[in-house]
Amino acid sequence: MIGTAEGRRRPRFRLEPYVEFARTAMAREATYRFDVFTTIGSFVVRVYLLRMVWTALYAHNAAPHELSRHAIITYSAVALLMGIVMDIDQTRALKDKLHDGSIATDFLKPIIVPFYFFADGTGEVLFHAVLLIPATLIALLIFHIIVPAPAVLAAFALSFFLGYMVGFFLNFLLNCSAFWTLEISAVQLIVTWLTDLFGGELIPLILFPAFLQNFIYALPFAAMFSTPLLIYVGVIPPSRYLESMGLQLVWIVVLALVSTVMWRAGSRRIVVQGG
Amino acid sequence: MAIIEATDLTKVFRRIVRRPGIGGAVRALFSREYEDKVAVDGVNFTLAEGELVGYLGPNGAGKSTTIKILTGILVPTSGSVRVAGVVPYQRRQENAENIGVVFGQRSQLYWDLPLRESFELLRAIYDVPRNRYLENLAHFSAILDLERFFDTPVRQLSLGERMRGDFAAAMLHDPKIVYLDEPTIGLDVVAKEAIREFITRVNRERGTTVILTTHDLADVERLTPRVILIDEGRVIFDGALERLRTEYGTHRTLVVTFAEAPIEIDVPGAELEGREGLVARLRFDRRLLSAEALIRRVMERYPISDVSIIEPDIDTIVRRIYVEGYQHGPVGTPS
Repeated sequence: MIGTAEGRRRPRFRLEPYVEFARTAMAREATYRFDVFTTIGSFVVRVYLLRMVWTALYAHNAAPHELSRHAIITYSAVALLMGIVMDIDQTRALKDKLHDGSIATDFLKPIIVPFYFFADGTGEVLFHAVLLIPATLIALLIFHIIVPAPAVLAAFALSFFLGYMVGFFLNFLLNCSAFWTLEISAVQLIVTWLTDLFGGELIPLILFPAFLQNFIYALPFAAMFSTPLLIYVGVIPPSRYLESMGLQLVWIVVLALVSTVMWRAGSRRIVVQGG
Repeated sequence: MAIIEATDLTKVFRRIVRRPGIGGAVRALFSREYEDKVAVDGVNFTLAEGELVGYLGPNGAGKSTTIKILTGILVPTSGSVRVAGVVPYQRRQENAENIGVVFGQRSQLYWDLPLRESFELLRAIYDVPRNRYLENLAHFSAILDLERFFDTPVRQLSLGERMRGDFAAAMLHDPKIVYLDEPTIGLDVVAKEAIREFITRVNRERGTTVILTTHDLADVERLTPRVILIDEGRVIFDGALERLRTEYGTHRTLVVTFAEAPIEIDVPGAELEGREGLVARLRFDRRLLSAEALIRRVMERYPISDVSIIEPDIDTIVRRIYVEGYQHGPVGTPS
């Protein structure tokens, strides 16, 4: 048939739509301006509270030897800074669209649909990343957090990025489960608790008992917060950078593969059942 | 040349059977029973480039399922389909470049963005050359009067405005084919008219092939010379609207106003359709009985004060077909 030969042509990949998706997501986020004040406000309050907690604990000699009081306050402040971008469920649009069925319209467009969600989420996160500037200034000027050497800072930045990707795929996986269950808030809540507890955002993982630590490091959550934070405060020395970030990378690859499988199965389900 | 070819298209959905009550819900956790539902059952049709076709059928007849297969969202259970030389479900993205879709009940515009931004985004998605984009935009906003709400976020638009926006959005990339799934649903007369005008012009001026599903038969009378009727997943009629009218519009209705109310109305050759006080509606087959003969029969039996004849409109014809099935004449072949 005539169409067959031409039918083999694959649309060439263009980045432009995805850049536009990210840009529009930023514009969309900008319309909810009140968020700016609540985010900064809650950041200041939480750092202040955590500083009180740590100060009290250190006064009662419950201090770990690896971290000084100042270092642990820095740890908490930087963790909360990371949280400004890490705590966003970037791909919740997937869950929402599965819920109301509007996902079908995305499949009508000549786009790679999961890339759309990635771009949209990235735009949202980039917009919120702007908040890091005033929040960091506050952390520096009010809480006097420690600033490590540039090389350590660079390693932290890289590890932070890797941690972000681990978080992205974890969120994406959860939202993908809406292909089957539609209602995922309970599962999401559990994962949020696990992240809070075992990710090292609130309590440095080195404070956990040794037997629990082995278990924690077998989970992906530590790769999100703990690794970059421990690099920042110097508990992970440069000699262990490769190993630590290598582990983060392994998690990214594993979660990306699982995501791909989930997405394929999920979108096939749409294709079979009709949304 | 055929732009759409559907051959023996069949789609079977498998659904979980849910038993009522808590017991049923508990049972469903352990063993699931499935039920097959045939949504589309061996549908055949061919569309030539530039055709404007009405795809009609009652709710649940399989219209939307067919459209979803043509757009590449659904994989057919069996049969083959080719749209502009592409098998849609195998090359969803490539097919997407060839088509535009408007769902009356679901917007494709970006909810939080002004219309203008939605269009810009679509331009990027479909890689429409800047010149062409501006040309199309100017053209569409002239027909659809978009200027007034160009900068309003989509969620604040009225249904009529949103639909106009959706139409422009579906056409921005000059698709070869557009699927319109109940595009006039819920619209007021003015908006409906604007949309119909737009469909006609797009089809005539750009040679765009259009498939329209609708429950508003005024859309069909106004727009589509050819109709495909589908019921229970099967094509029951495919041909010119005019042919449907002559073949199936065999029955006329005689409205009789009696001078005094008869106890029982019985006229040979006519069927009593309804009665309200002094007025009765008698349905008769014009091939078997002329109106004049029927009136004479009525007058022989009852004193009457007035008569009038209602010719079958397309609405009535289609309603009867939905209720009774297509019985007269062979199933049409594509013209």
